Amino acid sequence: MKRVWGYIAIAILFFVLIWVWTLQVDNSLNYPEFISGGALFFVIFILCMFNVRKRLPFLPLWPAHKWFLLHSVAGFLALFLFWLHADVLWPKGLYVQILTILFYGTTLSGILGLIMEKIYPNLLTRVGLECIYERIPRDLAEIRNKAESLVLECTEKTGSDTLAQHYIETLGWFFQRPRFFINNIFGGQNAQTWVMQQCSVLERFLNEAERGYLDQVYVLAETKRKIDFHYSIQTMLKKWLLVHVPLAAAVMTMVIWHLIVIQVFFN
Amino acid sequence: MDTDKFNHDQSPYERPNFPYRCGRGALWRTPCHNGPKIDGSCGGTRDCEPFFKEDRWLCRREKRFGGACAEGPGPRGECSWQRPPCAPRKTLRVIRGRIAFLAVVAIVALLASSQALNPDGGSGFISLSDAGPLSKAHKKFTEGCSSCHAVYGQGPVGWAKAVFTQLDISERCVTCHSFGGPDSMAHNNDLAKDRVVRKTECIMCHREHSGKKMSTRQSTSEQCNTCHKNKFESFSRGHPEFPDGYPYFDRNAIKFDHGSHLKKHFENPKFTEKAPTSCIGCHKVTLSDREVRPQAYETICVDCHGSQITKKDLVLVRLPELVSDLIDRDALVQACNSLTEEKSDEEFLSVSTEMPALVSAFLLNVPEDDPEIYNQPLQEFIFSMAEESHFSIEDMVNSQTEKPMADQLLEGLNPEVLKRAACSWGLNLEYEPPAEAKFGGWYADMLEVRYKPMGHRDPVAKSWVEFALAVSTIQDDEDKMARAIAMRDQVISPKEGVGGCVKCHAVSETTTIDGKKKLSIEWKYKKANDRPHSNYSHTSHIEIMGNKSSCSNCHILDAKAEYMTSFKGFDASKWSSNFPSIKRQTCVQCHTESQINQDCQSCHVYHLNPGFKKKMVSVKRQMPENKKTQK
Repeated sequence: MKRVWGYIAIAILFFVLIWVWTLQVDNSLNYPEFISGGALFFVIFILCMFNVRKRLPFLPLWPAHKWFLLHSVAGFLALFLFWLHADVLWPKGLYVQILTILFYGTTLSGILGLIMEKIYPNLLTRVGLECIYERIPRDLAEIRNKAESLVLECTEKTGSDTLAQHYIETLGWFFQRPRFFINNIFGGQNAQTWVMQQCSVLERFLNEAERGYLDQVYVLAETKRKIDFHYSIQTMLKKWLLVHVPLAAAVMTMVIWHLIVIQVFFN
Repeated sequence: MDTDKFNHDQSPYERPNFPYRCGRGALWRTPCHNGPKIDGSCGGTRDCEPFFKEDRWLCRREKRFGGACAEGPGPRGECSWQRPPCAPRKTLRVIRGRIAFLAVVAIVALLASSQALNPDGGSGFISLSDAGPLSKAHKKFTEGCSSCHAVYGQGPVGWAKAVFTQLDISERCVTCHSFGGPDSMAHNNDLAKDRVVRKTECIMCHREHSGKKMSTRQSTSEQCNTCHKNKFESFSRGHPEFPDGYPYFDRNAIKFDHGSHLKKHFENPKFTEKAPTSCIGCHKVTLSDREVRPQAYETICVDCHGSQITKKDLVLVRLPELVSDLIDRDALVQACNSLTEEKSDEEFLSVSTEMPALVSAFLLNVPEDDPEIYNQPLQEFIFSMAEESHFSIEDMVNSQTEKPMADQLLEGLNPEVLKRAACSWGLNLEYEPPAEAKFGGWYADMLEVRYKPMGHRDPVAKSWVEFALAVSTIQDDEDKMARAIAMRDQVISPKEGVGGCVKCHAVSETTTIDGKKKLSIEWKYKKANDRPHSNYSHTSHIEIMGNKSSCSNCHILDAKAEYMTSFKGFDASKWSSNFPSIKRQTCVQCHTESQINQDCQSCHVYHLNPGFKKKMVSVKRQMPENKKTQK
């Protein structure tokens, strides 16, 4: 927490420095936009470097968590520098407006991502299970195979197909792939309720031996539910970048165009 | 399921930085043990291999790759069953990279298309170099963006050159805008002669592309302080004291002694009814701006001063005391077409004992106090008047100035009156007019030809004042100069001068372009224009403080001021106003923190006489005609 405030303090100091500088430049009837614009470009460059850093994990370029902190604080700093630079919330001129839309979009998606980065890891920790996102299909397949093996074994050993029938009609759908995605990303408990309901409904129609198998299937279903939760949350943690990164790339392209236009028409 | 198995060497395929992931896993089936290859082909398939076991050939395969094949090897020993390869999917990282690339491509395509299909080019629909709408005035530029941006429409080569060339948009601004001084100098004025001041550019303060209203920077004290030597925080804190005499730097064009009028004349019971009750009785508040101009003479002065003008005549010619009769009587009788009258043998005794008029003495260049000298030229002059009427005077008047003035000076002069008077004087007789001159204009009476002004703004009286002032500074001859000055002093005398013009109108000495000094009379109310960088609006102040007593808040009458003494000389720079100088403290009473704004631009104007170039004005004048022709 101390580290965050350190970054924030540096960002505030940087912004105040630029602000005072622009005021001084403004007072001397020069062009403060060049100062705020230069600072903004520098901060955007730092923001972009985070992506580069992620592609070069083998280089000793500061730990990733520090980069993340820097990226988050610099993002907010960039927003305030943008306002200082543009002097208005919504500038005039088509190309500047497109740049503004893209910048605001990037910032907004970044803020949403930051919120998710702050909330979701806590939710995942509370699940009590850890799993690698890329291995989830394999884990789910493994659980599914185990569940189906248990159901087959139950049928063979008890001679009753009640559990098998129930599996085919209800639990099979659940084990097929990750379920309750929307509910999970909002931290809902629908999956847990559903699994418990499906198992408890069946319980009174089973004999003692079958109940033993049902309990094992229930344990697998619970594990699968937790992996589903991981899948939903980790998907969100990864897929918000599908919005943020392309927008950032578009912003950078527009920034370069902006620099060209300024150099050509305002040199 | 081993959920703790995170070690990279124990996990078959879980690296997120791979470009592909297993297609089976993507469909939520059991993923292949080996992930896709780097080229995107499936790396998880493995053929069954024949295996000899217990005298039999079997087709076997590791369980993780699909297990043993159901059908054994064929007659040639080959295994027939293979697990079909899946179609690996792109990983999120690759998808993200592609979307980002597409976003960049989309922006580049948009930029490229906007340049190719620019609206100014006539075929496009958007302009991605458009920095915003122009102000109302500049929106009408016929040449579009290139009116200001020289590089516009020059193509990529022009753009590349522009990056390495110093451009100055201000140069384009001054093709239409004009100022009273150098365009790129601070305040359009060479104010700081003792030091180097940087070049100014229009865009330092004026910004376009901000919508209908041009964005103009409001100058703050800090901005002014960057150049100005006297640095201060605000008007109320540290602004230099107003200079002595502020704002009464210029001597008035009209001599109006507020002290004598307010304290003496207006309190005189004789004039009380006619006197105004407050300042606005004379000063026109409705049209006030920097100055609250007094109303016209006919509105505010004529009631008291109206009769004074017509009482003060100009004496053009006077029959003076003559020492002898030198006029050829026969010639005079012939010229005057009168009865022959012989000269008497008696000693000549002049009918007049007066001195010649100063005007004629100047025109003839004779001393007005020496009859011996002026006797002959004056009688020749009288004879010429009797013979040619005004022609002789006309020639003499026109020869005095560079530009002939006789037409204005002698306007309305009846040749017959002049001739008859001259004929009488030639016979050493007083001229007897047919009736007393009651109305204004030229007339002859006894020994004089006079001009009676008809009222205010009388053109002949004005011309004579101008003539007297003009000739009093251009004489080379000392004697003639003295005569010119004597004539001038009489003509511009408030009490005796024609119309008493100079009783109210100031006479000032000015310097011409070629360095010569000349005197000129200020006929019209003069606007103070010696402070082009200062601005003051009476209107806004009167609106706040009311129009009755608000004047005296700042303009306090100094009854002891020697106002009229200032007009005895011609030096307009030396004078004392009826009102003591206004001090900064007077303004600070309201213009201070938390009260009324004290921005520099509230009182100061940055530019010197801003305007438009002549071509702009002429274009504007031509516009209605163009419209007519278009119709």
